[in-house]
Amino acid sequence: MKDENQMPIVALLGNPNSGKSSLFNYLTGLRQDVSNFPGVTVDKKSGFLMLDSGLEIQLIDFPGTYSVFPNSGEEKIVIQTLTNDKDNNYPDLVIYVADITQLDRHLLFATQIKDLGFPMILVLNMIDIAEKEGYIIDKTYLEQFLQCEVVCVSIRNHENTQQISDAISSRFSGPKEVLNYQPIYHLTDQENFVATRIAKKLDIDNFYKAKLIAHHHEWLQHLTDDNKIFIQKQIEQSGFNNIRQQVQETMKRYELHALAIKKTLTKNNSEALTLTDKIDNWITHRILGPIIFFVIMLMIFQAIYSWASLPMDWIEQGFALTGSFLSENLGNNWLADLIVNGLLAGLGGVLVFVPQIAILFLLIALLEESGYMSRVVFMFDAIMQRFGMNGRSMVSLISSGACAIPAIMSTRTISNNKERLITIMVSPLISCSARLPVYAVLIGFVVPDIKVWGILNYQGLAFMGLYLLGIVGVIFSSLLFKKILKSESTSFLMIELPNYKPPIWQNILLSVKEKVLSFIIGAGKIILIISVLLWFLASFGPSNKMSQAVEAAETISLSNQLDAESKNHLIASNKLEASYIGHLGKWIEPAIAPLGFDWKIGIALLTSFAAREVFVGTMATIYSVGSDSDEKTIRQKMAAELRPGTNIKVYSPATALSLLVFYVFAMQCMSTLAITKRETNSWKWPIIQFLFMSVLAYVGAWIVYQLMA
Amino acid sequence: MNTRKTLASLTPGQSAYVSVLDENIYTCKLLNLGILPKTKVTMVRRAPFGGAFYIKMDHHQMAMREDEASTIYIQETL
Repeated sequence: MKDENQMPIVALLGNPNSGKSSLFNYLTGLRQDVSNFPGVTVDKKSGFLMLDSGLEIQLIDFPGTYSVFPNSGEEKIVIQTLTNDKDNNYPDLVIYVADITQLDRHLLFATQIKDLGFPMILVLNMIDIAEKEGYIIDKTYLEQFLQCEVVCVSIRNHENTQQISDAISSRFSGPKEVLNYQPIYHLTDQENFVATRIAKKLDIDNFYKAKLIAHHHEWLQHLTDDNKIFIQKQIEQSGFNNIRQQVQETMKRYELHALAIKKTLTKNNSEALTLTDKIDNWITHRILGPIIFFVIMLMIFQAIYSWASLPMDWIEQGFALTGSFLSENLGNNWLADLIVNGLLAGLGGVLVFVPQIAILFLLIALLEESGYMSRVVFMFDAIMQRFGMNGRSMVSLISSGACAIPAIMSTRTISNNKERLITIMVSPLISCSARLPVYAVLIGFVVPDIKVWGILNYQGLAFMGLYLLGIVGVIFSSLLFKKILKSESTSFLMIELPNYKPPIWQNILLSVKEKVLSFIIGAGKIILIISVLLWFLASFGPSNKMSQAVEAAETISLSNQLDAESKNHLIASNKLEASYIGHLGKWIEPAIAPLGFDWKIGIALLTSFAAREVFVGTMATIYSVGSDSDEKTIRQKMAAELRPGTNIKVYSPATALSLLVFYVFAMQCMSTLAITKRETNSWKWPIIQFLFMSVLAYVGAWIVYQLMA
Repeated sequence: MNTRKTLASLTPGQSAYVSVLDENIYTCKLLNLGILPKTKVTMVRRAPFGGAFYIKMDHHQMAMREDEASTIYIQETL
């Protein structure tokens, strides 16, 4: 058992779409953090809450769950925690949130939690909608039936929400739960036989908990192998049929709580079309549905580019001002050089893209909150199956447009192993927000900034083209994986299509904040380390080579009678070539020359294997080391770059396009590989992912360059 | 016998009542989503490209594949 003096843990449980997370956000606000449940990448949101009584509690928002018989990895985590009283997240009190308009389904899991012996407070949410729809609510019978306190609230309108905190307070200060609790569901003789023996052997005081352990013993991680064998033996002896027993219990519970619902809710059934019906007549229409979907996607990408440009200008100017302020005031020494040309240049190159990323996350969160995403799952399931995936894969692929990491994590809702694996493997091919900076810098070399029809511009369309190229990559690689991989289990669609609701802004803003912060912190760390490393490697080199380089530059300047500016530039670029990083770049140049890349691009490729957005930071570092520290932007410096000894531009359209194609396909993100490793629980899949994407990138870039040059 | 008809045989706009469910590993999932014996179900539409079924119940709705719908036996009246 847990330490008595530990802070009480209060769990928020409920079905998906019950408003559970809205309540969590309402109660904790900005004082929440996201971590993982032990050993898995399922998000665990928790926050501390000071009650009016002065008691502090830890509130944990568990993943939405339909019942104690789980169908997804996230639901399994919940059941695992609830069946193990030694788990660090084992709750002292459960706040169960149910949508009052969906009470018949939402009460199922509530009675199961109650039978597991947890003290519980039932929160009936959405009384505002219920009252509008003509429901009359009387909670007296329900309180008797569940033997727990029931509060009716509207979390959206903050109506009666104070009652929830009061109920929690009185639970911890007042008298304990009634001791003579009567289980709602009575075990059958057969279930009792198995449960009694397991309870005795494992020292469990709740027979229903023992029954659940019997159902799920194969995957429950808190059971020892000995106990698993023991349980298996009991099951075989008694003829306990796992599936039949689950189905029978569920049906029995529905039957038992039907009366309670009848006495709680009075409603007039109307056959009239609801707002959701009317919206879905358009949104999920056989022909209009997909068209609306593509229009929404197009609008999202246009919004990213038009809304983000102003804040991006501000950030760019802010960094430029800070840079010149620092270089004036810090003097001319190596530390100032490191700060201005190493750290600041690297960070600025990435932070400038925060507005675009925030807008993308915001719009995706809106689609999820409103209920549109599950319609996308419905509409595209048939197509996705053709590519060996599931309708749910669509949600992952759309999220990949922001970042492959949450996308890969969201594949947990796909229960079929093959479908899930294919989705994980191909998701990083969708252009994520980290590729935006690279695209933004390079696209100007290929496509002119000209408007078409007043609203679209060629560069925006080119962006669209790069995203489409990523999608083509997804199509071909998923077909390939579909052929190669074998399926271990059957697959299912069965998904709830929740009623449309206006989004709750607090939920959306909190999710955007969390994701943007984790991007800044995650990418920021790597970028800082790499910027410093790069600055060092680019500023120093084998000492004799460095001095030879300077001498050579001076000789050339003298014989060609160059002015001071050209002379300094030549010295700087000769020094860069002679530096450690110059040697590294030269070393890989033969391998990348067929793609049209020189050794400077080679350096950027090497550094962006950790994270692709580092490309821009690297370019910033290389080019500010490589010339005088005037305030030219990276792109202007790159545009001015000539192939040594010639008048040919390094960034010709052929090279820029080849580089773009390389970045569309290449797996340059350590974090994604790490997540793939964790989610697939093996090194095999991240390695395969890295290899197939690298081959795709190299071959793609090679074809483009050979065709264009 | 009309009890052998399944949900997969409904055309858009048609309604029926669930009679029994085939027992398999996903039966509980259907029950969790509110597909129970005696539930009134309406087949609203099919997804584009001959895909999933859009099924409406009393006051909520769900999507399922054709093979999932064919594990749900229906009857015309209660």
